[in-house]
Amino acid sequence: MSHPHIHPNDPGLQPERTTLAWNRTLMAFVIVAAFFLRWGNQQGVVVVGLFAVALAVALTIWTTQRNRYRQSVRAMRQPQGSPKVGSAIALGAAVVLLGAAGLVVISL
Amino acid sequence: MADSPHEPEHSERTPPQHLAQRTGLSARVLGGGIEPDPRFTLANERTFLAWIRTALAFLAGGVALEAFAGDVFPVVVRTGLAVALLLIGMVIAAGATLRWIRLERAMRHSLPLPLPWIAPILAVGAAVATGVMLAVLLLP
Repeated sequence: MSHPHIHPNDPGLQPERTTLAWNRTLMAFVIVAAFFLRWGNQQGVVVVGLFAVALAVALTIWTTQRNRYRQSVRAMRQPQGSPKVGSAIALGAAVVLLGAAGLVVISL
Repeated sequence: MADSPHEPEHSERTPPQHLAQRTGLSARVLGGGIEPDPRFTLANERTFLAWIRTALAFLAGGVALEAFAGDVFPVVVRTGLAVALLLIGMVIAAGATLRWIRLERAMRHSLPLPLPWIAPILAVGAAVATGVMLAVLLLP
């Protein structure tokens, strides 16, 4: 109980499940980053940029996990919604941008 | 039905929380309304993330075709499929984000939840891509 903000308080473990969902998403970005890197065989250095962006998204998710988990635990406690508007929009935009960049690389 | 987002339980658990507490981006994106049960917001978040991973799978598929398929397909077919997969991934990612916002808004006004129009895109996209691949591989 030394960390009241991260101590689970919900028998349904909603915050934990949500954090794990972010973790799976993080790993999916790592996999996509690895695919981009492998693509460098044919496309050259330009794909390294895509690799770096995908990896940066994964790292950003990783470093912000604790904040989102605390936000979710606090929301369950109040109880009140905890819509992560910024995280959601940034994530969607990142995937769209990576896809667009992939199209550009194909057209090169 | 206990988890049905149509029946928010906040009225029994707590007085309605109004948007006055929201700031900046959240207020602009979500509009007004009453805070839903926090479980519904978290469920919406996990569903959104599942769609994002689906979109990422399409991106990875498109890149993998270009990176690994080599001469298995004619170049036109390979590139066409890769472009299609990347486009579907982008549409699903954008659609998932919009859907997440629309669901958050609907929950805050006790409105019926919008239909997932990205679901048929996913189904048709996956079916067509698989069909084209099978056709190219199996037909002489």
